[in-house]
Amino acid sequence: MAPNIDKEAEHLRNKARKELLGLLEGVRGKKNLVIGRDLTGLLSLFVQFPTLKEYGVDKVFELENGNTDSSQRNVVYLVHGEKASLVQSVAEQIKKLQRNGSVEHEISVCWVPRRTLVSNRILEDEGILGDVNVSELPIYFLPLEDDMLSMEMDEAFNDLYLRHDPSPLYLASKALMQIQQRHGLFPRILGKGDNARQLANLLLRGRRELDADDAATQYTSMPSTSIEQLIIIDRDVDFATVLLTQLTYEGLIDELVGIKHNRAEVDSAVIGAAPLQRSQTGSSSTSPPPAIRQGLKRRIQLDSSDSLYEQLRSSNFALIGPHLNKIARRLESDYEGRHTARGINELRDFVNKLPGFQQEHQSLAIHTNLADDLSKHTRSETFNRELEVQQNIAAGTDPIYQHDTIEELIARDTPLSTILRLLCLESTIAGGLRPKDLESFRRQILHAYGFQHLLTLDKLQTMGLLQPRSSSSALLLPVGGAGAPSEKGTKTNYGYLRKELKLIIDEYNEQDPEDIAYVYSGYAPLSIRIVQCILQKQYLQTLHKSPLPLTPSSTGWAGFEDILKSARGPTFNIAQKPADEKAARAKAALAGTGNWKTLFFMFVGGITFTEIAALRFIGRKLAESGQRKKIVICTTGIISGRSIMEGVIEKSNLGSRLVAA
Amino acid sequence: LRGKHGISFEAIARAAYDEGRGHLATTLLNHEPRAGKQVPLLLNMEEDEIALNKAIESGDTDLVFFVLLELKKKLPLATFLRTISDKPVASALVESSFRVSDRELLKDLYYQDDRPIEGSNLLLGEAMQQTQVQAVVDKLKLAGRLLTDAKDSTGQFHTKALTEAAQLLKMQEAFDKDITDGSGSYVGLSVNETMFRLIQSGYSKRAAKVQGDFRVPEKTWWWIRLRALTAARLWG
Repeated sequence: MAPNIDKEAEHLRNKARKELLGLLEGVRGKKNLVIGRDLTGLLSLFVQFPTLKEYGVDKVFELENGNTDSSQRNVVYLVHGEKASLVQSVAEQIKKLQRNGSVEHEISVCWVPRRTLVSNRILEDEGILGDVNVSELPIYFLPLEDDMLSMEMDEAFNDLYLRHDPSPLYLASKALMQIQQRHGLFPRILGKGDNARQLANLLLRGRRELDADDAATQYTSMPSTSIEQLIIIDRDVDFATVLLTQLTYEGLIDELVGIKHNRAEVDSAVIGAAPLQRSQTGSSSTSPPPAIRQGLKRRIQLDSSDSLYEQLRSSNFALIGPHLNKIARRLESDYEGRHTARGINELRDFVNKLPGFQQEHQSLAIHTNLADDLSKHTRSETFNRELEVQQNIAAGTDPIYQHDTIEELIARDTPLSTILRLLCLESTIAGGLRPKDLESFRRQILHAYGFQHLLTLDKLQTMGLLQPRSSSSALLLPVGGAGAPSEKGTKTNYGYLRKELKLIIDEYNEQDPEDIAYVYSGYAPLSIRIVQCILQKQYLQTLHKSPLPLTPSSTGWAGFEDILKSARGPTFNIAQKPADEKAARAKAALAGTGNWKTLFFMFVGGITFTEIAALRFIGRKLAESGQRKKIVICTTGIISGRSIMEGVIEKSNLGSRLVAA
Repeated sequence: LRGKHGISFEAIARAAYDEGRGHLATTLLNHEPRAGKQVPLLLNMEEDEIALNKAIESGDTDLVFFVLLELKKKLPLATFLRTISDKPVASALVESSFRVSDRELLKDLYYQDDRPIEGSNLLLGEAMQQTQVQAVVDKLKLAGRLLTDAKDSTGQFHTKALTEAAQLLKMQEAFDKDITDGSGSYVGLSVNETMFRLIQSGYSKRAAKVQGDFRVPEKTWWWIRLRALTAARLWG
């Protein structure tokens, strides 16, 4: 019996928990746990602090704090092994522990997701390789939801596009290989973009390596019968979508508050203090006592376990008010129900339902307050001017007309990230800024926000997000790939695709949207339109004015090949053939054809909440139209314009380290 | 042997190498699909360049970086830098990994690759770590000097910005000496923030001098004045 593909998320969660706990069990007695900062939040996705306690964890420290004490003999390090600098600091801390400790420590190191040659070498050079127990915790994908697997790599975006370091691709290929090893090969791999192509190559290579290793299971020699295909989209095909302000409820929370590992930290002044002491979380023993923390921030869980949030998250923000109102009314009438409950039985029924009501009530209170707070921002003048500029640029008006507004926003000290997003958006959509304008904006930014941002601006240029029009790497791809080959543009041509794929939808029904454009109030994310080229050909045809070369049986990219030549990077379609044709056919016949098939999406370099909402929207549409298909979204991490800018903007300034003379 | 399932070319190659037949071993290794097994042996055989190429081909960055660490230890710096300079993946890994641990190596890399702006940015980064104004200014000067030969517009823009940054610091230092009304230090503020603070504390003339020296556009100047005056009235 093949493993159930629908339970993949649950399987990954259980596996991660089991392996971590097994590891802790292997270290006998009580122990202190030292965790890399980027892992602390991540653990909470599959294990809770009380569970760790049951397994003998006394205290949890953050590696970056460097304050590990000697209170326990056993010390366990849990750290990402891919970054040499992290490995180095682990080595240094271990040496420090060995030197000062009055006790002789028993030290274990657990590398996530794998033990690397480099980490071995560093520990060896420090002379401690022999003194520590080394193991690995193979966590690649972590489930955020049942249909959402993320590698939760915060640095993936900068690794790929700023430093051109392909590590995330390799880890992504490992992650996807694990799925293939359980469920069989992806029968088809489709993709768009350079990194997508690289990843596909790594998957093919991975299969060969498995063959050589004799580690091939019955699944890796056979295309899967439960998976239809894997679609890989490279982020750099469509940067514009990330730069726009997301307008779904969840997207807006991420833009204004920030969501990490399904959680957001909200001012408790906004949503009220936490009711009683909520369950402790993984990293809490290093934090100040809860009383102090509650005064500032309160952590809320944002996932589908809260049915109210599940209903709200994907809606356009404009609808949240009415929606909350409706729920409040329903809840009230539910409470009223108690008056009509006469008989003992009815009363008992009511009392049984009461906890549910109360929970919903609490959740309603949180989201009402949160939505109210968000709408303070969305009603502010700067927010609306920002949105206006975005919409104009996205709709294709000459961006020069927006420059006055942007200059004014700079002079009024609007946060730098807002300004940079607008300029990057212009550069991305218009193929760079006129050199004269760019220089003027660069000057204004340095004057307004500090000369340290010379570094910030250079980084954005390296990433290809903010460039002069004269630069060769800023050129747009010629229309439909029809231009002369000498005209070597490399950037996605939004002007052309806006028309061909109907990226702007002027009139749409907000209440009951028919198009994914609702997530940006009129702009359809290009990345998701590209996915629709595969999955909803007929629908795109209705949006398109002239007939496309489509037949009812078209699959893959058929019909859209020429249009997609104007988006950056290669377009590809690979079929994975079974090693043994006959056996595969027999197996396929056995599995039947009427089954639900799962579609995997892989977003290399990150995905936004708006895109997730749009993909789920497509998933629903497919199901409504009678296609037995399910979707699973995979990504290197969840990103937003906010997180990109946070990763790029230089934090220190020329006076930050000065000592008063 | 080709096409047979599960054959370890690594084992055969190792045997060939042990017999002293290095060339045969290298040829055999070409058939080994598992880079993890291929690369260490190649390194052993002193086939550095091939080892690096194979590691890059595999996409496994751990393997690439492992080879790089070995090579860095083994080769003279200049040779090492030359080896990686035409391999984007290798240089990218060196850049991202040594940014913390070995900045001097990076400076050499940028110098050799003729990337003065990156080199200058390293010094700008160091300037922000200094604890004395004079030291900051010195670092900025060094950063500027790297760019003296840069003729392109980006280089010129950087040179100008670095000069301005030093000029602003000097001015701010002077303000700190003159103005002791407890409104805090000026050093480290941006140009606009400096003007804002000056106006807010009632030193409009000095603010106007900043505007003139840095050629701040009229429109920006008026917005800053408006904001500063409103703020001053609000709080007293």
